[in-house]
Parts: sequence; C-alpha cells; structure tokens
Amino acid sequence: MTETEAAGVLADDRSDGGMRMTTGGAAQRRRLRRDFAGLAVLIAGVVAFPLLASSQLVFVAVFAGVFALAALGLSLLLGLAGQISLGHAGFLAIGAYTSAILTTRYQQNALLASVVAVGVTMVTAAAVGTPILRLRGHYLALATLGFGIIVAVVANQWDFTGGQSGIFGIRKVEFNGRVYDDPSEQFWLVWAAVVGALILARNLASGRVGRALGAVNDSEVAAETLGVDTFRLRLQVFVLSAGLAAVAGSCYAHVVGVVNAQAASFLLSVELLLMAVIGGLASVWGAVVGAIFVRALSEALTAYIPRVVPGASGEYQLIGFGVVLVVAVIFLPGGFVSAGTRLAGRLGARRRPRTPVSGGGVTAASDHEATGEAAPLLLRAGRPAVGTAVLLVRGLELHFGGVRAVQSVDLEVRTGEIVGLIGPNGAGKTTLFNVVSGVLPPTAGTVEVGGARLEGRRPHAVAAARAARTFQNLEIFSSMTVVGNVAVGRHLRSRAGVVAGALALPARAEERAIDAEARRLVELLGLGDVADSPAADLPFGRQRLVEIARALATEPDLLLLDEPMAGLSAAERAGLAGLLRRLRAGGMAILLVEHDIEAVMALADRVAVLDDGRRIAYGAPSEVSDDPAVIEAYLGADAEQTTLGGPA
Amino acid sequence: MTGPWPPTSRTVRDRGVIDFLQLTVAGLSAGSAYGLVAVGFVTIHSVTGIINLAQGEFAMVAAFVAIALLAAGLPLPIAALLAVLVVALGAAAVERVAIAPAAGSSVVAYIMLTLGVSITLKASALLIEGPQPSALPAFTPGILSFGGVLVRPQDLWILAATAVAALGLYGFLERTVTGKAFRACAEQPTAARLVGISPSRMSTLSFVLAGVVGAVAGVASSPVIQTDWNIGLFLGLKGFVAASLGGLASIPAAIAGGLLLGVVESLGAFYISSGLRDAIAFFVLIVVLVARPSGVFSTHAGVRAGVRAH
Repeated sequence: MTETEAAGVLADDRSDGGMRMTTGGAAQRRRLRRDFAGLAVLIAGVVAFPLLASSQLVFVAVFAGVFALAALGLSLLLGLAGQISLGHAGFLAIGAYTSAILTTRYQQNALLASVVAVGVTMVTAAAVGTPILRLRGHYLALATLGFGIIVAVVANQWDFTGGQSGIFGIRKVEFNGRVYDDPSEQFWLVWAAVVGALILARNLASGRVGRALGAVNDSEVAAETLGVDTFRLRLQVFVLSAGLAAVAGSCYAHVVGVVNAQAASFLLSVELLLMAVIGGLASVWGAVVGAIFVRALSEALTAYIPRVVPGASGEYQLIGFGVVLVVAVIFLPGGFVSAGTRLAGRLGARRRPRTPVSGGGVTAASDHEATGEAAPLLLRAGRPAVGTAVLLVRGLELHFGGVRAVQSVDLEVRTGEIVGLIGPNGAGKTTLFNVVSGVLPPTAGTVEVGGARLEGRRPHAVAAARAARTFQNLEIFSSMTVVGNVAVGRHLRSRAGVVAGALALPARAEERAIDAEARRLVELLGLGDVADSPAADLPFGRQRLVEIARALATEPDLLLLDEPMAGLSAAERAGLAGLLRRLRAGGMAILLVEHDIEAVMALADRVAVLDDGRRIAYGAPSEVSDDPAVIEAYLGADAEQTTLGGPA
Repeated sequence: MTGPWPPTSRTVRDRGVIDFLQLTVAGLSAGSAYGLVAVGFVTIHSVTGIINLAQGEFAMVAAFVAIALLAAGLPLPIAALLAVLVVALGAAAVERVAIAPAAGSSVVAYIMLTLGVSITLKASALLIEGPQPSALPAFTPGILSFGGVLVRPQDLWILAATAVAALGLYGFLERTVTGKAFRACAEQPTAARLVGISPSRMSTLSFVLAGVVGAVAGVASSPVIQTDWNIGLFLGLKGFVAASLGGLASIPAAIAGGLLLGVVESLGAFYISSGLRDAIAFFVLIVVLVARPSGVFSTHAGVRAGVRAH
C-alpha cells in the first residue's frame, strides 16, 4: 500500500485527524465527563428551543436537525472509516422515497414507514458498498458520486417514484390518531433522533470498532495484521452511515410532505459533506455543529445575495458552500470542534505539565537474565503442545515481474522454539514475512499457520490463526498512545461489534478488560512510564517494543519479529532477549529476522539463511555458522578466491 | 437547430444503418469533448496525484466567457481564443490559491478542495448567467449529408478541435524543454526534483494545460450541448469515466476512452432510453472501476505511471 493511495482522514499530517481513541485512564474519563456535559446542554437546548424561538426559526432548526442526522453518518464514514462519499444524498433519497411510497400508496403509518425505509436503505448500501468499497481514494469518491447521480436519474425517470413531480401528500407522524405536524413537535421528534444518533455514534467511535478503524487510518497494514478486517468494518460503517442518511430522508419526507429527485442531488451531497467537514471529523459533535452552521449560512445567503445580485435565482447559496469548503480545508482542517478543543487544550496545558518520555527497560527479563532457565511467560490454554509445527512453509515462490524475490523456500517453526532467519540485505527476509503474514500473496507454494492453509489470505485471517508480526519499518499507530496501540492488538480477543459498540452497555466491561490487559503488556515490555504518551513521541527503539507488545496482545502462538533489536540499547537488547526466552519457555513459536547475528546465534534453536531469495542453509546455529555457502553469502567470497584457496 | 439530434426514424429498414451511423458520429463528437476533459484529469493527476473535480467547470467557464465576449461584439474565433486564455490563467490561479496552500494533504482533503473550487465556479456562473442555458452559435451553419447520413458541421469542428488540442499538447510535451521537464516530473518526481525541476511550478503548469484542454472542450461543444451552470458536473464526471477507461495515465487512452464513452452513451440513449442517458456513463464508471483491477484501483506502481504522449 502506498501512502498516497491510502485514503486517510482529512489532512494526514496537518490536523489531528480522525476520531481517535486514547484508551484508558484519565483521558477517557475526562472525555466521558465532557460528552455527558455536552449531551446535557444539548438536551436542555432541544427541550427549551421551541419554547423560546419564533416558529420560523424553529422550522429552520428542524431542517438543521434533519441534515445533522445525515451529516453525522457521513462524519462517521469520513472520520472513523476514512472513506468519502460524494453521493450520500442518494441514500437520503432512498429513505425519503421509501417512506413516501409506503405512506401514500400502501397507507402505512409514518413510524413503520420510517423503520422500513431505514432497512431498505441499509440493504441497498450493503449491496452498493460491497463492490465499491474495494476502491480507494478518488475512485471511491467518484463511484459514490456516480451512485448518487444514478439514484437521482432513476427517481426522475421512473413512474413508480412519481417521475419529475415526485411524490406528494406524504403522511405526517401520528400517534393514536393525533397528527404531530406543529413545528415545535417536529423539532422535538427530529432532534430526539439527533440526540439518539449522537449517543450511538459517540459510543461507536470511542469503543472497539472506533479504535480499530482509527488504527486502520494510521496504518492499514499493521491494523490488518492485528486481525482487523478492514473491509468488513468499513462496509459496516458505510451501511450504518447510509442508515443515518435514511433516517434523515424519512424525517425530511414526513416533515415536508413532498419528495422529488432533488433529494438525491449532488448539491445536497456536497452540503452534507460540508457540514461534516466544517464541524470537524475528529468528534461526532462536529456534524451537529456543522449542520447548524451550514443551515444558518444557507439561510443568510439566501436572504442577502438577492440584495447584492438582483434577479438571482436558483441555488445560488452554493457559492458560500464552495468558498467555505476551500477555506475550511486549508485553514481549519480539523473543523470547529477541533479548533475549540485545541484552544481549550492550550489554556489547560499551562496547568498540566507534560510527563517526560524517557527511561525504562524490558522488565520481564530483569530477574531471570542469562540464567538459561527462563520462567515461562504468556502461556495460553489451548496452545498446541511444544514441538508442534505452527508454521509450515512449502515451496514458496514470489515473483515481482521478472524478479524472483522468494524461490522455493521451505520453513518450519514449532511451538517452544526460536527460529532465526538471517541473510544479507535484499535476501528476501522481509518479503517472506510479508507472504507469511498475508500482506503479499505468493506466486506459488503453501503457507500453513496453526494447521490451516492460509497462502493468499488477507492478513486478518492470518492473525485469526494466531500469528502476529512486527515491522522492520515501524508501523506504529501514530495518533494513539502506547496503551492505545496495544489495545488494538486485543481486537480479535474482544467481541463488541458495530451494534453492541453503539449501544455501549454490553461493551463497557469488555473495554475495561482490554485496557487492563494492554497495560499489563506495556509494563511487561518496560514501557510503563510512557503508557499514556503518544506512541509517535517515543524513540524508534521503544516504538519497536510497542509493536512487540501490540503483537503479544493478540495472544499469538507464532510471533514473527522483523529486526526487533534494531535501535535498542545494549540493556534493552538483553532485556528483549530474556523476554523472548521466557516466551519460548511458555510454548510460543518465534521466527526472528535480525541483523545482529550474535544475538540470533545466542537465541535461536535453529537458523535459516536466505540469500537471493533462496534458503541456502538451515540447521542449528553452530552448523549454520560453519556452512561454506553461508560464509560465501556473508563474506562475498567469490569463485576466484575459492579456487585460490582450494587444491588447484 | 430544433428538435433532438440526431434526427432518427425507425420506419424504413435502411434507416437502421443510417441511424446507427448518425448516432455514432454524434457520439464521437460528444465523446471527443469527454476525451479532452479526460486529458485534463490525466495531466493534473500524473504530476500532482490530484483528481481535479473542477475540471468540468473549466469547460463550462470557457463556454460562458466565449458567449459573453461574442455578445460584447468580438468575432467568434477571437472570443473562443480569449476564452481559452482566460480559463488557462484562471486554472493557474486556482492552483495557486486553493491547491498549493494545502500541499501535503490527504487524498480526501484534495477531493474536498477541488470540490469546493468546482462548487464556487458553478455557483458564480449561476449568479452571473442565471439558471437558463445558453450556447455559442455553430462555428459554421448548415447540415452536411454523406450518402444520407446527416452530420452537423459542428461535430466535425469538435473532432478537429480535439485533434488540434491533443496534437498541440503532444508537441508541447515531446518537443519543448518545459514539456520534457513536465513529463519527467510525472514519471520520476524525485529524480526530476534532483535535476532542478520545481514540482510546484509543474503543478501550476499541469493546471494550465488542463485548463486549456478543458476550455477547448467547453467552447467547441457549446453549440451542440448547450452550456448551463451545472453542465460541468456531467462533463467532468464523464471526462473522469473516460480517463478511468484509459487507466488515468495516458493521453491517447483518455481520448480513446472519451470517444468510446460518447458512442456507448449515444447508442444507449437511443436504443435503451434517452431519459437514462446520464445514468449510462456512471453505470459504466462503476462497472469499470470495480471490474478492472489493474491500473484502475491498483495500489502498486502504475497508478502514477505518468503522461505518455505515445
């Protein structure tokens, strides 16, 4: 995956990005308190507003609420899943039309119609999203735009949807024969939905699903190797976000009483996008703030532009949307909410000095260092007995065009042993790792992890088979704390999906367990002093330890370490070696790529040597270090020297 | 000209072939406009990695400028040339004001930026020109008949303008030092920077070139498609579809993609349903994007393979 193709959040390196998760402790409690306070203020405002404002203003606010629902969905899609939709009005229209058709043609009541409308839209979103969410960046943007236009064209052309005139006389909301169509009543109904959606979105963003998707935005490959099924989560968020658009569409239909193809228009999609962006994608509150701002802007422009340009007609308020969108992306990439948070943070920073990032060492080893009798660590009930081959590679080939990066490599790693994988630069070690961990599909050959054939499967499937890896070129989740990074590793060992996560109550206990487990591993790797620091602030060596803790959090049977010693101090190396011995004693299988040959020879039970994509030696460290082929590969002894030295 | 073009009839059997030929010519004419817009996408994308969603608006603005200059009394050829010049300069301004300040942003941010520019241009046109469409007069009047196949001279003008613009761009990229620097920047950005080519200047240049081809498309097609404030959306998207058909990397492939799309759309509108005309292109878009795994949504090399003039 290349950087440019990865659909990141709004501004990778300039803003503070997507809805992020800083697991645990004080930060989480602070955020929870803030969200509760915000919610209390919002609810009070919603209750009081219609009693205080003029009915004209209330009517404007009804629309702000309707669009806030759709913008909230779009904000989840953009901020959480890092995916863009330029055709979101298409989903809003499907919801609106379904509601309209059910109430006018089939005489259903508005509430039932709304529920069905949301269901129909979500099913459509799943059908549309399954192919198009495989696209990235621009292609996804334009495919969604194409979808929106197709919906608009079909709505305009189809008799069933009333053609160009649309559908009239949609029933208002009723209970027990009483119709609720006063602006205040509509306001309360719509904004009650907004409050509900806000709570769902907030819970989702700050739980397991939000954490996983935040990780994907930082490093898709790392998240996948930790077991995150990126595609599936993105599709789920896409469907949820379409569902929210459908709620908005349904509200729209029942409030206005008319729906036509304008509901699917591109310009409405742009308006929704603007709401999400201007409010700020870093928080679910952004969409609500953005919706209020954009509706107010729209009303103001509609009122003032005709004074400046007499005879203006059509949707000229768009000019403000275009300008504000450009200005917001350039000058306010985090939106209003992020700007507010930064301001508050700046004021707060004076009072709270930052904890320094320093010190520490791998604690696990300190008491057992170099005794040879390592105490078992991280045992797992159900792990295959010591000596079982958990990694079996047979006849592996990987070609890039004409380059044969890996050639007929066989490899076997058993539980309770450390296998070293060494070789000169460019020998294919990292490439082999990438194939084994599912990052690259092999050209030929088989990979068996934990008894299951996995060649060509995606990384999350390999992670599910209990293989975890680290990266030579670090793939830290840079927007998260150290504990946050490790918590992503618990993804496969926790359950809360989109629905349970959104409802929060069942997920609370699980979140506490994830946090506790992550902190235990952080301590184990000697990172306790920086547990709540941003992982990106750590020196490279300690970031490697974060990656190891993260990999261990998946409770692997097979641990693949790509140059874990690089950048570590001598003390840290010794500590890490001790940790690996204890993991081996606990029955874990470890495959270790390392340039520090001494460390490998001291640690490994067996060593495989790769050169030019081939395995040129395999055996106990002492055998391998005496192997002439290995010496040649490392010392570059060529044929001439050999003949000179040999019996000519 | 009144009534739908091309005039068709299904009453006589021989008309079938003639209909088909007429529809194909009309499709090629519309398609070459899509092709030029597609070339604009390729030009900008190859150097900056950006998909410029305001590409269709360049065509729309050029047509309106030409219409205004013509109304101000300038002769049509002068008005057309000035319109192209104005849009080329405007495109440079867009790059400097809206794109350059956000250097280093994500794909999504650039989508929003160019979307913002697109909406601003659209809405400005709506404010200045109003919602009703207008059109340049045909460059030469009358109807040509080739063995019963009726062809509007403007269709030939559009094809000719496309050929001239594409060959001009080819000549620029192949024969001039700046053009070669531009190609170098598209193919090997790092190496280009090392030999002293400024990526930021090349980014501005890419917008100018895209502005020129977009403006030519807008001016040449205005007599046939009628220009309104919202036409840029459809021109731009169809241009993108055409560029995607060609893998977003090659100028000839982009033009071929445009021609193919124009013909498919023209035939589809006649034989399937004219109301669904605009949906056809986007259906093709989604099918192409999803079905073509290599070059289109590949995350490996090739996406920014660069401008290949041949």
